[in-house]
Amino acid sequence: MIGYLAGRSPLHRAHPYTTLALAGAVLLLAFALTQPLEIWLLVAAGAALAMAGGREVLRSSVRAALLLSLPIWALLFVLYGLLGAEPRLALGFVSLSVPGVARALVLGGRITAIVLGFLTALGTTSPHRLVEAMTASGVPFGRTFLLASTLTVLPRMRDRARQILEAQQCRGLRIGGSPLARLRALGPLALPLILGALAEVDEQVLALDARGAGGGARRTALDAPPDSTPQRLLRWTLLVAMIAAYAWKFWRMRG
Amino acid sequence: MTLRDLVLVRLGVAVNLVIGQIVAALLLPIYLDSVGTILVASLVGPRAAIAAGLVSQILSAVISGNFSWLPFAIVQVVIALYAWGAARLGLFRRLATAVPAGLGLGLVAASCSAPISYFVFGGVTAGGVTMVTTVLRALGAPLGVAVASASYATDLLDKAIACALVSAVLRSLPRTLAARFPALAR
Repeated sequence: MIGYLAGRSPLHRAHPYTTLALAGAVLLLAFALTQPLEIWLLVAAGAALAMAGGREVLRSSVRAALLLSLPIWALLFVLYGLLGAEPRLALGFVSLSVPGVARALVLGGRITAIVLGFLTALGTTSPHRLVEAMTASGVPFGRTFLLASTLTVLPRMRDRARQILEAQQCRGLRIGGSPLARLRALGPLALPLILGALAEVDEQVLALDARGAGGGARRTALDAPPDSTPQRLLRWTLLVAMIAAYAWKFWRMRG
Repeated sequence: MTLRDLVLVRLGVAVNLVIGQIVAALLLPIYLDSVGTILVASLVGPRAAIAAGLVSQILSAVISGNFSWLPFAIVQVVIALYAWGAARLGLFRRLATAVPAGLGLGLVAASCSAPISYFVFGGVTAGGVTMVTTVLRALGAPLGVAVASASYATDLLDKAIACALVSAVLRSLPRTLAARFPALAR
């Protein structure tokens, strides 16, 4: 949907943990807030975050967020606006549920804010800098490997899935027809993909072992992104703010 | 985790994320986004399967851009634990036991996902499930009932097929390849 967009904005220059902490704070706050006004202030904060990433990030994030959110908004409109509870408000030829619309504004705004926050983080966090930051902070190799390496394997697996599909179609496999016929085609497509990948496991283990990935020694980051006291302070402040937000939410629920 | 487990977890994640491409090509109304998790649980164990499930959920969010579904990561943990238990009982050795195991997994997974869907997202989640919810709601079902019914209907079908597929993979493994996974012999 959106990948890293090179730039020189404050978010691009920030330590990757700071950008991810900001996006994480939007996610946690979105679930802590329950009033339409609060949620839409959070959406505005998400948009401000995207703006801090520069014009290109703002444009891409807002566009992708709209594309992802619009189908959800449409479903919310039907499920809550049209099929919601009384009292109702007549708007031309449609009658909308007042509490339903308020609930839809919260639910839709929540998803929009989260998507906007994380798309901004994706657009401004270089995967290379993130891996270097994780290595520098002593994150075990396994975790870094799983997050970074799987993304590089996916295009290869996708290509192989496409090749298997084309090869099986050449051999006469029909992928249309009734749902049962289509379900029967699943085996000839999925089995070769999974079995082929399993057969390569040992080869990949050997390749990684030969590169010293099996050693338990702490790895050295060659190009660790600089961190600073204000950024560390900001991350701790966000953590405290999240705890306070949830404490406030539960206190309000009790009341 | 050993290097071999890591590579298998990566494979499980890739299967979880790529199998959807095949399902989409076949226009099937299912997701099969936990086949890799179930497979890793059978071949390696619960820890690796949980890792595969959680990483799948995170990377799926990274790829699609939609991070709001992250709370459903807990469902992947439950799937990993159930699949490990089912594999230890040998339920994936035959199709006749894999499908009921899948139906059980569907029940368990839906029991976890339906409350998240209802309380956190108000029943509006993935397109297909929400369409079923909307139709049931339009027919007069209360929202909670509509969300739960849609979750159970889709999860029962999805997980039964996922377990049948994993069973087919395990039964198709050549002896030389199967011998490399000690968990299979247990």
